[in-house]
Amino acid sequence: MTYSSFLKAEFLVLWRRKQDVFNALLFFIIVVVLFPIGVNSSPEFLAPAAAGIIWCATVLAVLMALESTFKEDHRDGSLEQLVVSGLSLPLLIVLKIIAQWLVVMLPLLITMPLLAEMLYLPSSGFWALIGTLLVGSPSLFFIGVIGGALTVSIKQGAMLVMLLILPFYLPVIIFSTLAVKAAQAGLPYSGFLAMLLAMSLLSLVISPFMTAIAVKASVNA
Amino acid sequence: MNWAWFHKLGSPKWFYSWSKAWALPVFCFGCLCLVIGLVWGLAFAPADYQQGNSFRIIYIHVPVAMLAQSCYLAMGIAGVVFLVWQMKMSPIFIKAMAPVGAIMALIALVSGAIWGKPTWGTWWVWDARLTSVLVLFLLYMGIIALQNTIDDVLLANKAAAVLSVVGLINLPIIKYSVVLLETLHQGPTFTLTKKPEMPAEMWLPLLFSVIGLYCFVAGLVLWRMQSEILLREHRSSWVKQEVTENGL
Repeated sequence: MTYSSFLKAEFLVLWRRKQDVFNALLFFIIVVVLFPIGVNSSPEFLAPAAAGIIWCATVLAVLMALESTFKEDHRDGSLEQLVVSGLSLPLLIVLKIIAQWLVVMLPLLITMPLLAEMLYLPSSGFWALIGTLLVGSPSLFFIGVIGGALTVSIKQGAMLVMLLILPFYLPVIIFSTLAVKAAQAGLPYSGFLAMLLAMSLLSLVISPFMTAIAVKASVNA
Repeated sequence: MNWAWFHKLGSPKWFYSWSKAWALPVFCFGCLCLVIGLVWGLAFAPADYQQGNSFRIIYIHVPVAMLAQSCYLAMGIAGVVFLVWQMKMSPIFIKAMAPVGAIMALIALVSGAIWGKPTWGTWWVWDARLTSVLVLFLLYMGIIALQNTIDDVLLANKAAAVLSVVGLINLPIIKYSVVLLETLHQGPTFTLTKKPEMPAEMWLPLLFSVIGLYCFVAGLVLWRMQSEILLREHRSSWVKQEVTENGL
């Protein structure tokens, strides 16, 4: 196994299990739809709330997708193969996250123009929203994958992952919605994007090592 | 100075006999200080010129909030120690500390809300400090949930350590939220570099209750660690001997 063959295999596995990816996308859309129906469907409420709604739905969809990242691998034994492969485990985890990010985030981004229109998000905020998603979502994956690795051996892990990881997502959500609010008010928002990028880079530095520790502990257990 | 006693504390047996000697004195000292601080503060300290008597909740709120953060810091350090040196006592410490810290964070939130009602006119605001302490409470609950869900002890140890270390990122956010961000919450009461801005008869009881609560919690955690040690080492011969000789 080499790094490139691993990445290729990851994409292939994700492609063969397209339904899981599709489920995450559907889950995302349904959560977004809940808000206009459940809270208030007037443009006066939705326009300022749109970024927050989309970000909350994204966070939940990403966690749903991440919960199963290592589960299948653990069940069929390929997780152990990763540990004993002689390749750097943190690097393999980074590659895995890159594959997951592309497969989960790209469909979300493609639906974004449609959902932004449905939530009456003004065009001034739209590109800020896309920017926050592009720059901020890697941190969601890097942080969330720690939770996925910790709960690999637990049968009903999804709820626990939410409980463990959601507190760490709050800063990302705060800065993202602040960026879109600033853009809607016509203010510069590049500072918020820089903060999001900083969080993504920080989690890139810390998370693969923490995840590797958790994976090794789960495999040995 | 002979430091040999220090590394011996890494062994459950030594730690058990050491903590057995220390838990009660520390706990009693803590209770004494706490009672002095609370009675002095709640009954005898002068009233605040702005807030009147409602400021007296400071003698509960500040020590508890300090403990809520210190407990997490200690857990995070124990997590690092476990991940780096695999010390056997660190996961026991994390397990003993988590519920205590969670209670401290909860009391800090509740006492803060009670203080907020007369001074700010509201129980709760979504401001940086309050929200970050709420997140701290949720982190504690997450660690407790993780430990209770994973049956495998070795995995639960690792998992709790990893989560404690990752959660350390929240502490600077809490600590500096009142200094850096605009918030309704007032600035820090105690700093190491400056003299407190209140008269001695107001901050002395606070100092007493802070020290008292630290010792109180230390004693409590030592006891919790003892029972956890007995539970984990129940197969070893010294535990059998200990239990048959001294009872539980």
